[in-house]
Amino acid sequence: MDVPQREVNTTETSISVRNLSFAYVAAPVLREVTFSLKPGAVGLLGPNGSGKTTLLRALLGHLPLAPGAANVLGHDMALSPRAARRRLGWMPERGGILPGMSGVGMVSYLGELSGMPARDALQRAHEVIDYVGLAEERYRPVLDYSQGMRQRIKLAQALVHDPAWIFLDEPTSGLDPKGRVAMLELVRDLAVNKGLGVLLSTHLLPDVQAVCTEILVLREGRLLAHERVAADGAAAARVFEVEGVGDEDAFTARLGVGGATVVREGRFALVTLRDGRGADVILEAAAATGFAMRRMRRQVATLEDVFFDIVKE
Amino acid sequence: MPVYERGYRHWEPSGRREAAPWWVIARRGILAPLRTRRFLALLLLAWVPAVVKGVILYFSFQAGDLMKLLGGSWSAVDAPGFFAFLEKQRGFVLIVLAIIGTPLVARDRSENGLALYFARPLTLRDYVLGKLLIVLFYFLIVTLAPVLLLALFGYLVTSGATGLDMLLLTPLRATVYCLLVGTSLGLVLLALSAAGRRTVFIAMSWLLLFAGSALVAKILALFGGPWMKLLDFPAQYEHAGSLLFGAKAPLEYPRLISCLLIAGYTVGAWAVLRRRIRPVEVVS
Repeated sequence: MDVPQREVNTTETSISVRNLSFAYVAAPVLREVTFSLKPGAVGLLGPNGSGKTTLLRALLGHLPLAPGAANVLGHDMALSPRAARRRLGWMPERGGILPGMSGVGMVSYLGELSGMPARDALQRAHEVIDYVGLAEERYRPVLDYSQGMRQRIKLAQALVHDPAWIFLDEPTSGLDPKGRVAMLELVRDLAVNKGLGVLLSTHLLPDVQAVCTEILVLREGRLLAHERVAADGAAAARVFEVEGVGDEDAFTARLGVGGATVVREGRFALVTLRDGRGADVILEAAAATGFAMRRMRRQVATLEDVFFDIVKE
Repeated sequence: MPVYERGYRHWEPSGRREAAPWWVIARRGILAPLRTRRFLALLLLAWVPAVVKGVILYFSFQAGDLMKLLGGSWSAVDAPGFFAFLEKQRGFVLIVLAIIGTPLVARDRSENGLALYFARPLTLRDYVLGKLLIVLFYFLIVTLAPVLLLALFGYLVTSGATGLDMLLLTPLRATVYCLLVGTSLGLVLLALSAAGRRTVFIAMSWLLLFAGSALVAKILALFGGPWMKLLDFPAQYEHAGSLLFGAKAPLEYPRLISCLLIAGYTVGAWAVLRRRIRPVEVVS
């Protein structure tokens, strides 16, 4: 009997998801999500309830993955999620500490559970606790930690086994401005200087702007966009203000065929081009529909513009 | 200190052997309570009956029938005598397991610690086995360990007069009994721990199940007859265990019924554990 083959990426450092859907009882949370990621800092954006945490849990193999398929670090998550979890780190948003343990005790214990020998786990626990800046507090019970310290110890436990990717669920949640900056600095250092893949789930756009080079935007369980973010935090998508005379509907439809999105704003049409498309798409559409352009000017679109543009659509 | 100056290095495995996840959980859970002096004192206290029985055994052999008469079951060196000793340890079992077992799952659930466990390469079986071994270890420390030592001691003080039964069969019976009862009680206790998040309430539930059910069953049995003792949770273990030790059955109904009830408790506990121990909690 022929067994259907799963067409998934087998690269050992990448994550690929195809047609992933999931529903809690009858309520769909993820709908046919498809994307592929290479190591780097990726922001997972979306309003509350958009399915961000569920997607991370699916990538950890905590949820059934049918229909659809996920391949994480070369492992099919439907078949061998445990092997993939050896190389994944997870920092949950809510809770995420083990009461009754000291900081170093908890991190080394979780290191051992990740498959590290006891002595390696203890040594490594000290190293990552130093790295996250909790060196002075390592022997204190984790239950006595402040919110900022808890977030740091959660990051330390996610790093103890030296994962290839870490999934961070709202890592700056509940932090004061100083703590937030410090946490983002750590996350950025991990992605940029240490070569880890970071999937950062948040609804805070400035966090993504500070750290990420790529974004996934989810709304109501659907993946609305997979974009690159420029180094200065601006979106890589290009937005043009276009003004002209002629058949606007035909012009808009033609732009849509060319992969652009158009929003009317008074006299202007705001045309957003993604995936490296240039202004020639607009010029061709105008020529094809006889739309006489009076003005075309490029806007600098921020990540916020693009996010709200995508979510609004 | 700036982040980039802090020493994050990639981990290079040393080549040392890694432990199985269930063993990591069990080892940590067994060692942690031993750092508490009060708990160590309780464990020592749980051994007092064994010391008393040892002394009585010694003197009953030296002083003869009078001491045996005064000592009652404490001076018995046969299998039913040791079974009676095991049942006398019930109070310590109740307290030690309440202290050890009630927070085992509840504490992990209270701070979403399960998410951390199951983000690791371990399964539900690893988790439950690790936690169960913690309960089982302390159960055996207050039940089987003293029985084995007493059996050896009894064999030595009677100069082998008690024969192989004392040296082999009684320890074997006690081992089988304690492993079966410890596993069943351990799973029931873990299920209680998994059912809630507040350790105090779980400890009260354990107390009600263990001591409360016995009291209620005894009262109801006065009016409703011996079948009311089906409600007595710990008595079922004693009733079934009496078969293994050749002791007199403490309840009126067939032992098979107690065996079936124990199987029911155990399977039910496993079902609760499967349902409650999850990396993802679905909130309706």
